[in-house]
Amino acid sequence: MSVMQDFTKGLWKELPPFRLLLGLCPTLAVTNSADNGLGMGMAVIFVLVLSNMIISMVRTIIPKKVRIACFIVIAASLVVAVELLMQAYAYPLYQQLGIFVPLIVVNCIILGRAEAFAAKNGIAASVADGLGMGLGFTLSLTFLGSIREILGNGTWFGKSVMWEGFEPLSIMVQAPGAFICLGLILAGMNMINIWQAQRTGHEPEALKQGCGSCQACASADTQCRQG
Amino acid sequence: MVGMLRMVLVLSLLCALSGFVLSYLKIVTAPRIEEQVLTYVQGPALARVFTDTDNSLIADRRVFDLDGARVTVFPAFKDGSLLGVALEEKGKGYGGDMGVMVGFNMADDTVAAIGTTTLKETPGLGMRVAEADFTGQFSGLKAPAALSAQGGSIDAISGATISSVGVVEAVNKAAVLYARLKPEIVKAWSGEATSAVSGSPKHRQGE
Repeated sequence: MSVMQDFTKGLWKELPPFRLLLGLCPTLAVTNSADNGLGMGMAVIFVLVLSNMIISMVRTIIPKKVRIACFIVIAASLVVAVELLMQAYAYPLYQQLGIFVPLIVVNCIILGRAEAFAAKNGIAASVADGLGMGLGFTLSLTFLGSIREILGNGTWFGKSVMWEGFEPLSIMVQAPGAFICLGLILAGMNMINIWQAQRTGHEPEALKQGCGSCQACASADTQCRQG
Repeated sequence: MVGMLRMVLVLSLLCALSGFVLSYLKIVTAPRIEEQVLTYVQGPALARVFTDTDNSLIADRRVFDLDGARVTVFPAFKDGSLLGVALEEKGKGYGGDMGVMVGFNMADDTVAAIGTTTLKETPGLGMRVAEADFTGQFSGLKAPAALSAQGGSIDAISGATISSVGVVEAVNKAAVLYARLKPEIVKAWSGEATSAVSGSPKHRQGE
C-alpha cells in the first residue's frame, strides 16, 4: 500500500468511530458541541501521529513480549504532554474536556494502530496512518458534535445558526442524544455503502465490515476461499 | 536470559526517558499553567468578590510567607486606596476540597463577598453553594461565620449540609489568615498604593 492509501483509509474505509467503532467513549462523551469534538480530535491527532512515529522508530528494538507495556508507556507520556500543553495554552478547552484528556491513553485507536500498523511498518507509512486515522476521528467527532450542537442548542461553534423561534431539542446535547446521533450516522453510512455497492455491482461492504484493524477475519476468509 | 535482560533494559530505558521528558515539560509549562488557572479559575471568583476596582487583582497579586506556607493575596484598589484584599482557602466538601475566594474590606475587616473557585459537589445539591443566594449571606459579615443551626447567621442549603459547612470552614480559615497577615498587607501596599494605581495599566506593566 502506498503512503497515500495509508493516509486515506482512515478517512472513510476504516473511519475509526463510525466504521471500526473504536474510541467510542470520547466520541459519545465529549461531542455535545462542535468545539469540543474538534478539540478532542486535535489532541488525538497529536498523540496518534507521534505515538505511531515513535513506535515505528523503536519497533526493531522492542522485545515482542513487552511490546504492549512499551506502547502504553509511549502513549501515556504523550497524553500527559498533551494535558500539560492544553492546560498551558488552551485552559477553557481543558476545563470542558476534563477527565477525557487523560483517558486518551486508553483510547483503543492509539493502542490499536500501534499494534496493528506502526509496529509492522516504516516511519513514513506510520505517520500517514496516524494522520489519516486522527483526521478521520477529528472529522467524525466534529460532525457528530455539530449535529448535536445545532439540534440541541441551535448554535454551531458557538454561533447561532437556526431560525428565530427555534426550539432546541435539549436531549441532543445530553448523553442519550449521542447514542441517537451515532445510530443514525451509522445507518446513514451503511445506506451509502450499500447503495454504492449496488451501483457498482459488488457485494455490499457494509455487511462484512467491522474487523478493519485486526484483519484476522479477512485472512481467515481468504484462507477459506483458497482451501 | 539475554532476552529477559533485554526486556528489562528496554522497558526501564523507555520509562526513564519518558519520566525525564515529562518532568522537564512540567517545569517548563508550570508558570504558564499557574497563570491560566489564575485567569480561568480564580479570575471569575475574584470578579464576583470585588466588582468595582481600578486594578487587575491577578496582575497585582503577591505571595506572603506565613510559617513556611505560601499565601497568595489579591489586592483591590479603588480611587488610589486599598479597598480590600481577597485570598483563597479550602474547605472540606462532599466531593473533595472546595476552593473559596474570600474578600475582606480593609476598612472594617468585614467580609466583602465570597466566590467559589474549584467545586466538585453534587449538581443540584451541593453545587448550589456557588449560587448568589448562598454566597450573598456572607457579605458584610464579621468573622467567624457560623450556620444558623450553630447559632450563626448563615442558612445552610437544605440537603447539602456538608457543602455548606465546608464553605463556612473555608471562610473562617481565610479570616484567620487575613487577621494574621493584615499588618503585613498594610505595610506591603501602603507605600506602593499610589504608584500602583495612579499610573495607567500600561505604565504599571513597565515597572
